[in-house]
Amino acid sequence: MRAKRWVRFTKKLLKEIGIEPERLEMFNMSSSMAPAFAEAVREMTRRAEELGPSPLKGKTKNAA
Amino acid sequence: MIVGHRKPLEEIKSYLDGCERVLVLGCGTCVAVCMAGGEKEVQLLASQLRMAFKEEGKEVLVEEETIQRQCDREYFDTIKNKVEHYDAVLSLACGAGVQMAAELFPKRVVLPGLNTTFIGVAEKEGVWSEKCRACASCLLAETGGICPITICPKGLVNGPCGGTNHGKCEVSKEKDCAWTLIYRRLEGQGRLDKIREIQPAKNYKAQTTPATIVHAAYMEEEA
Repeated sequence: MRAKRWVRFTKKLLKEIGIEPERLEMFNMSSSMAPAFAEAVREMTRRAEELGPSPLKGKTKNAA
Repeated sequence: MIVGHRKPLEEIKSYLDGCERVLVLGCGTCVAVCMAGGEKEVQLLASQLRMAFKEEGKEVLVEEETIQRQCDREYFDTIKNKVEHYDAVLSLACGAGVQMAAELFPKRVVLPGLNTTFIGVAEKEGVWSEKCRACASCLLAETGGICPITICPKGLVNGPCGGTNHGKCEVSKEKDCAWTLIYRRLEGQGRLDKIREIQPAKNYKAQTTPATIVHAAYMEEEA
């Protein structure tokens, strides 16, 4: 699957600049899979809380 | 096409040390096809640089442009007035394109963002392999359309050597023996007599550096 490859590649790009690759994830599901979607959101929320604010936050005015 | 791949980010960042305004310049031809220096890759690298500089607390303006070809000077017309606003141009073209940009903008620092690797073909999505070493004296008519200069690590014009091993090369079990490939191709075409012809030593004089070609239609007329 092409998207899966590119998400994996983008994680490498993030890691290269010191941003935790766990901040990006791809989840496969159909539009009718509400519980799976909710679980994916909970997982990403958990990760965001664990990792804390983005390392880029409040550094310079030059937007990323 | 010419195939290249992006330099490590740390190397690129070290080139840009001290720059405050950087233009990442893509090339829309060969290096776009091999997913190394086209518009998408310019966007990815520019975003990465902006984020990396921001993380380091540096104020660096990183902007993006992609032109159709960096090996033809006329394609630079669209950006020539813009380039003077930058300290450096980070070119994602092949080595030829980087040099063309450097020649056209001698007062600007023009830097390479790629390592130019080879002339090759796409094997499948995301995979390219070398096919031609630009030796200036093509042997493909004699070798069934398979280049021994490129595919054989020894570049033998008469083969195979004693290191051929069930179709693989002594250098690596992963590599096909070029001369076994040539044998099979010629065999399939009923042209095995070709492999029995002894080729003269390779004419390395044809491979001058730096080479220049003038098309016959553009040569000056003799008096």
